[in-house]
Amino acid sequence: MKIFKIILLILMVVFVGIQFIPTKRNQSTDVPITDFTVVNTVPQNVSNILKTSCYDCHSNNTYYPWYNKLQPVAWFLESHISEGKAELNFSEWDTYSDRRKRSKLKSIISQIEDDKMPLTSYTLIHKDAVISKEQKTEIIDWITKIQAKNE
Amino acid sequence: MKKVIGILAIALISTTISCKDNAKQEGESQETMENTMHNEAMPNESHEGHDHSSGTESTQREITQNDTKNAETTAILNAYFEIKNGLVADSKENTAKGGTALLAAISKFDMSKIPENAHEEYMEIQESAKEHSEHIVKSPIDHQREHFEALSTDITDLVALLGTDKVIYQDFCPMANNNKGALWLSEVKEIKNPYYGSKMLTCGSVKKQIN
Repeated sequence: MKIFKIILLILMVVFVGIQFIPTKRNQSTDVPITDFTVVNTVPQNVSNILKTSCYDCHSNNTYYPWYNKLQPVAWFLESHISEGKAELNFSEWDTYSDRRKRSKLKSIISQIEDDKMPLTSYTLIHKDAVISKEQKTEIIDWITKIQAKNE
Repeated sequence: MKKVIGILAIALISTTISCKDNAKQEGESQETMENTMHNEAMPNESHEGHDHSSGTESTQREITQNDTKNAETTAILNAYFEIKNGLVADSKENTAKGGTALLAAISKFDMSKIPENAHEEYMEIQESAKEHSEHIVKSPIDHQREHFEALSTDITDLVALLGTDKVIYQDFCPMANNNKGALWLSEVKEIKNPYYGSKMLTCGSVKKQIN
């Protein structure tokens, strides 16, 4: 019993301790001119889906509710953000070549179609990021249109 | 002591469940967006069930004959065929190996051997091909196939841009890519479908022969 208490105490200290380790925040106040929503005229409904369900990990601006600032959640998030941005960064959309844009649009559709994105580990906490069936149709239809324009 | 632990436990649990944070940033300029929406309305706009009229990317892309007998593209093509053959054999491992080989071939490619005016397009193609290869190296087979389809477009464009001294075939499978159809390149005339492997090995037809 005593050992159990000691272990818990240690865990507690560690938990409090890691809160003081600084983490990089992925935040910027302005929307760059290369942003996906600036380059393309995105309808409101699609823009909302993108910002709620994608932009946290796929742009230079993450929305941080308090639990995202808490360790170890913040670390977990940080690694996802850097990975997500390397794959697709909506803030830097216009820096991509046309070829890359086409390939990204295609991947966006297939990832959403197959429910691979947003990640379940993310929607578990961010319930509002879950893409409903109707939203799925809306976003895929719209991106299909943009695709035709990018040919 | 017990109390403290209890409180802490509750705090921990609540961090994982509490989560209705809907106050997300609302978008701007609603009117302008709706306006442009109407302007760009397309003839076959539909909201239920998407029309696939835009699946032209891969269906209409044929190799513009390039008569240059370029040996510089050989290493890249061979690595691409390794990926293709891995998929034909339904082997995730062999496909991944081909991906690694393609990455190596790209990094060894000598830019000075190709004409100056082809540099920009080559860079775009290789950047894209590299990205697809990286995914092919680390992904399960269905995802490998998705990237292979996009990669095939890149390699097709590469051959159109630089040419090859190999005899290659451009094949087409109408069912791949959600029935939008997809191309691939092959070093053998016989149809061996990389998009379905053993499930539909002979689905498809030769569209064109190069050299």
